[in-house]
Parts: sequence; C-alpha cells; structure tokens
Amino acid sequence: MFDADNIRSGYGEITVLKDISFSVNNEIFAVLGANGSGKTTLLKTLARLLPLQSGKLELQGNDVSTAAPYQMPAAGVAYVPQEGNVFADLSVMENLSIGGRTGNKSKSEKLDEVFALFPRLKERLSQSAGSLSGGEGQMLAVGRALMQEPSVLLLDEPSAGLSPLFVDTLFSSIAETRRERGVAIVLAEQNAVKTLEIADRVMVLSLGEMHLLRKRSELSMSDITEAYHI
Amino acid sequence: MDYLIFSVSLMLVYIGLAQLLHIQFGLAGIPNFGVVGFWGIGLYGTGVLYVKAGVPLLPAMAMASLLATALAYVLARLVLQRNGQAILAATLAFATIVSTLVVSEKDLTGGVQGLGTIRFPFSDLEQRNLIFMIMLLIVVCALIWISAKLRDSRLGRQLVAIRDNEELAASLGKNTAATKRWVFAITCGLMGLLGGMSAPLHQFLVPYQLSPSLTFAVWIALVLGGKGHNLGAIVGVFVTFGLFDILIETYAPVPAEQAILLPNFKLFCYGVLLVMIIMFRPLGILGVDKPKVRSSTTTPPRELSNASVEKG
Repeated sequence: MFDADNIRSGYGEITVLKDISFSVNNEIFAVLGANGSGKTTLLKTLARLLPLQSGKLELQGNDVSTAAPYQMPAAGVAYVPQEGNVFADLSVMENLSIGGRTGNKSKSEKLDEVFALFPRLKERLSQSAGSLSGGEGQMLAVGRALMQEPSVLLLDEPSAGLSPLFVDTLFSSIAETRRERGVAIVLAEQNAVKTLEIADRVMVLSLGEMHLLRKRSELSMSDITEAYHI
Repeated sequence: MDYLIFSVSLMLVYIGLAQLLHIQFGLAGIPNFGVVGFWGIGLYGTGVLYVKAGVPLLPAMAMASLLATALAYVLARLVLQRNGQAILAATLAFATIVSTLVVSEKDLTGGVQGLGTIRFPFSDLEQRNLIFMIMLLIVVCALIWISAKLRDSRLGRQLVAIRDNEELAASLGKNTAATKRWVFAITCGLMGLLGGMSAPLHQFLVPYQLSPSLTFAVWIALVLGGKGHNLGAIVGVFVTFGLFDILIETYAPVPAEQAILLPNFKLFCYGVLLVMIIMFRPLGILGVDKPKVRSSTTTPPRELSNASVEKG
C-alpha cells in the first residue's frame, strides 16, 4: 500500500511533518496524537492535497510523490476530511454519486452496499447534505468514500464532535469495512481508547515527529499517554 | 418602435450576460468583475474585423468570441487558482486594460473618435433590426436553457462541488483547476459573442461603452434576482434594466428638465434595492435553486434506531 520514506510536508514555508518513514499494509493503521501533532497534515499529504517538501511517497509500488490530488481516487485512495466533508448545497444522492466514478461495480451495487452500512442515508437521499446532523454528515462522507471502491481509506478524526453512542456505531462500521471489503484504513484519531479497539498498528505523532510505531498488541496506554505529554 | 427594439435587444444582452455570470459565480463560484472586458473584446473585435478587415459580420462575431475565449483561458491559467479577491481584482484589471487599449490603439479602434459604422446583417430586409433581435432572443434563450439544465447535469454538480469545497472535490478525482479554467473561458467567450452581437445594435463603437457600469449592472441584476437560481438573473434584469431603462426612461411622463436626473435617480434606486435585498432577502428575489426538504423517515435505521446521531 503506502510507503513513506522520510517525508517532510507542511503549509508553504512552514514544515509540520518532519522526516517520517512508515509503511501502511492491508490493515487499520491508526495515527494518534494531540492537537497540532500533524495528523491532519499527514493525511492531507497522503491524499496529495499538500505537496511534499522532501522525501518519497509510494502507493502500491508506484511513486506518487508528485501526483495531483485528483489522480489519487483512480489510484485507489479515498479521503474523508475531518471538517467540511460534505458538499452542503448538493443532496445526499448527489454527494454519493459525485464520488462514485471509480472501481468496477455498478453505481446501484455500490449504493446498496453503502445503504447496507448506513441505512439512514437511504431515507435522506433528496435532502441537502447541509441540513444533515453531524453524525449523518459523517456517514455520508464515509459512504461517499466507499463509493470510490478504494483500496486505501484515509479517515481524519471521524469521531470528532459526535456523541459517544454514535462513535461506537461509527467505529463498528469502520471495522466492518476493513473486515468485509479488505480496505486498508489509515485512521487519524484523538480518541485513543476507541482506536485501540480496532487498530492493527499504531503510530503516535508528536509535534510533527513520529514518537512511536508499534503493533497494537505491543502497545500500552501508558506509552500513548507519555507521547501525548511530549 | 426602433428604439423599443433597440432597448429590448440590449435587455436581452444583459439577460444573457447575467446568465453567464450565474454559471460563473452562482454555480462555479468564480467572481468575474471583468464582464465588460470580455463583452468589450467581442464588441470591438467584431467592430475591428468588420470595419478594418472587411470580414462579414457573423464570422467576425465568431472570431471575436474565440478571441475572448482564448484571452479568458490565459487569464484563468494565471489567476483562477488564487483566492476570490485576487480573481476579482485581476478580472477588473483585465476589463480596465481592454478599455485602455481601445482608447490608446487609435489606428485599430478609432480611439475616442469611435469606430463605425457596423450595419445589421440581412441588410436587404426591411425588418432587419427585428430579425436581429429575434436572433439575439434565440441565442439568449439557448443560454437560459443551458444554464437551467446545467445545475442538474454531471458538470453542474461538479461546479457546485468545486464552489462548496474545492479541496474535497479534488480529493474525489475532479480536476478542479482545469474544469474552472474551461468553464470560465467558454462563458467569457460567450460574453464576447454577446459583445459581438451588440456591435450592430450600437452601430458606432466608442470607449464609453466599455465603462464598468455594465459589469456592475449585471452583478446587481444577479444579486437582486438571486445568484443561486438561473431565473434570478432574468428577474434581476427586468427589475433593473427593464423597469428603468425601458419603462421609466421611455414611457414615464417625466418633464424634459427633470429627465436629466433620471440616470442618477436610477443608480440611487439600484442602491436602495440592493441594500433592501441584502437586508431582507439575502439570497435574492428568487432565492436558491433547490428547496431543502427534509424527507420523512420511512424505515428504522439498522443500527441507529436508538442512537443519537447529533453532534455530541
């Protein structure tokens, strides 16, 4: 899947991610860290929305270091940002359709799969996405990403601002997506407890640097707490 | 009668320009403050080709429209990926450059002395100005139809997506920069076509016709009518140009000594209307294109029947 080799990235002259190297395999790869640790920057860099300042990024063996963001869905990458993740002036159906032009399955087949995962969306099809609740908006964003039939799904803090009950449901859906579709998932989160329930490997970022990268089974909560305090 | 045909033809040009601005700004979110520049390229391009080069009028219009498309594409490449304020300033500057060149390039454009005469096509026919108005009507109706159909087309949804959140649209595989460039170039080219079609209406071209007031009039019409609705642009032109320039200026029994105040009175009324619309109906007279209807829940959701999905 993804192979990042000493990637350095940020906004204009400002460097946020400092020489990070890692590989994402067919797994749930969690990225944990406090506010400002560089999680969103990392996911935007993987989605090619931010240019690399240095380093090399490969996707399934192909160099995508200079790829444009619009080329990534065809390469199998779907990205769900933390905020502003739906098109408010488009209906739910239009939101789902706009992301579904990649992959081999028919549109109706893909819609059925999304509705099976998020039945509520089916009841809101003609409603404008801007009038959805936070949870429904998050379902729509994830559903739209799945319409792309991705091989890698980049999820940026999907639980942000949601009620605890819905967070449980969302994380179940993420795990189900991984299990049933075989999609590799890069999950950036602040909710360490929930993330550790479903992650295969965990990377902890601190101030743009990789603090640790371990299998979940080799990780204790105190490791993470320590990283958050750096 | 001839004046009425002239006024209605001019109103049709404004409606066409407002439709194109609706596509640029209402759908794609591109703030073009250089409408008169692209219209002017069409106007003077047609005039120069017709008067100086002897190109027949209709091919001259088409060539001038292509020139406006090409210039708009170049401008789009330079500025369209910058923020809204930069686009606004660049397009306004473009219109100013066009106006300045028209004044300075006297050999080509006639400068302040003007360029003419541009006659209507079909000069053998007695009702040539009426026929030309019908031609204009067909072009403008086509623009209205395209604008109406565009919103629900694949391209229209893509434009709305780009306007709402360009980064997200790009992450979904949309080449947002290229889409914006082509939409801007083609719509500006059509503005140029409307400029070309205005040339025989004016018959004699002078730099004064390229004043920014045309851009502002089209913008005011769009904002008044509602930028989110393609018919809003038509309503806006009727409320502004139709009401003042045709009904009041032509038919209101205003004494001659007061008639000189009408243009200023018109601008005053535009201002008051604009402030009232922004205060009481910010989405314009017609508002937005699609009502936001919350459909009723018909089946219980699989996992969330008892779960709150509201923001925590």
